[in-house]
Amino acid sequence: MASTLRLYLTCIRNTLEAAMCLQNFPCQEVERHNKPEVELKTSPELLLNPVLICRNEAEKCLIETSINSLRISLKVKQADELENILAKKFLRFLSMRAEAFQVLRRKPVQGYDISFLITNYHCEELQKQKLIDFIVQFMEMHSLKYFRRT
Amino acid sequence: MAAVAVHQFAQCITCHAWSPDHSMVAFCPNNNEVHIYKLVNDKWEKVHVLQKHDQIVSGIDWSGKSNRIVSVSHDRNSYVWNREGPEWVPTLVILRLNRAALCVRWSPKENKFAVGSGAKTVCVCYYEQENNWWVSKVIRKKHDSSVTSVAWHPNNILLATTSTDGKCRVFSTFIKGVDTRESKTGSSSDPKFGEQIVQLDLSSSWAFGVKWSPSGNTLAYVGHNSMIYFVDDIGPSPLAQNVAFCNLPLRDVLFVSEKMVIGVGFDCNPMVFAADKSGLWSFIRFLGEKKESLSGPKSGSQFSEAFGKLYAQAKHGLSNDTVEPSKIQGAVHDNCINCIALLNKKGSQTKRFSTSGMDGKVVIWDLGNQQDLKEYL
Repeated sequence: MASTLRLYLTCIRNTLEAAMCLQNFPCQEVERHNKPEVELKTSPELLLNPVLICRNEAEKCLIETSINSLRISLKVKQADELENILAKKFLRFLSMRAEAFQVLRRKPVQGYDISFLITNYHCEELQKQKLIDFIVQFMEMHSLKYFRRT
Repeated sequence: MAAVAVHQFAQCITCHAWSPDHSMVAFCPNNNEVHIYKLVNDKWEKVHVLQKHDQIVSGIDWSGKSNRIVSVSHDRNSYVWNREGPEWVPTLVILRLNRAALCVRWSPKENKFAVGSGAKTVCVCYYEQENNWWVSKVIRKKHDSSVTSVAWHPNNILLATTSTDGKCRVFSTFIKGVDTRESKTGSSSDPKFGEQIVQLDLSSSWAFGVKWSPSGNTLAYVGHNSMIYFVDDIGPSPLAQNVAFCNLPLRDVLFVSEKMVIGVGFDCNPMVFAADKSGLWSFIRFLGEKKESLSGPKSGSQFSEAFGKLYAQAKHGLSNDTVEPSKIQGAVHDNCINCIALLNKKGSQTKRFSTSGMDGKVVIWDLGNQQDLKEYL
């Protein structure tokens, strides 16, 4: 059980290291604007292929990259109904305070439990390795069922 | 150690350019200003701040002979700065852009400069004496996406561009009245402005950082798919070499000689590429010391600890008017290197160049004491 978690997290870490090559890029559609291209998706040439990493049917991670932004969406495993409610409440608590985390997205992407949006501005202010560590430790924390009742 | 000097100027540097005598450096500290620092008694002092742009300055170039600075910004404007006494006086350039300008380069004769933009166009500007301003001619409808980088051929006519549509194109920028038509050149001269000479579709991802070799025979550019492309014989049948490497993508390249190219990018370490006697290009080695990759995540860490890790980043001390040159540390750049510039003193044998990056440092590298690279210089 633990070994698949290690592999899953290593895979995500390596993908993030390759995906987090972001640069400042002004909007091609609207003058004087600078928007995260992964959210807008107006220029298909600026988007890279999304990568879906699945641990099993219930746990997966979608990494979508563009030239100036990166979106990571996680679906965490919920064994039963109660855990489903707990997870939803906990992640909603975090998402509503997304401003404090800077890289968290207020609403998760459709079909996932929580999403992160990392832009080139985050990469300028914060170190890339530490950002990746943060995301991976976040996932590890969930996988360790930190908030589980047992 | 190839890095001879490291200077921390700001939190993040977008681009930089050196004065003709290499005593002053102009850079943009990730805002709408251009800062010029001068080396005085082994200390860097801020001598000028050029404030005219409204948004981030994305490109700066300092002409070698005429001592003019051209700056372009995301606010679609460009200014040519002339030194008049102690001040730098800006002259507006009518670019006629409706999107951000991304890069700028003076031509070898410094009578023109080219600007790549997010409007999928390239503006080539020249000075009109009668009206005392800079006018632009625009190359339209030739690019499918933003133009990320431009480079002039030594003949002052050919211009190579790279774009986020993955292609590298070479255009003729002959302007009547500015360029002289050489009657001796054969069929390779295409004097019409904006005519596309060749389109190179080698990369499956975005293309950046195009440069010509000193003689103009070879063209090099990088793709975001971690590849660097070398093209000889630009014309109807170009000869291209693709060199793939197993590291993070590059952002910019520089020809230090006919046979050696330095690539810089997301690995924070300059990469040396060289051509052997038969003309085959390959990756030689990294210039700086390789950074150790971080170990895997530690198990059982508390959420607040992870939170704390994220915010324990040292925000570098900034806006100092005097900056002490710091001692050389192990891994030189901490963040992506996005700009590389040649620093050769005329007549000098040693090859020097400088890099600047998102960590706000400008690092000067010297290839003089790298014994294994001497054969390529």
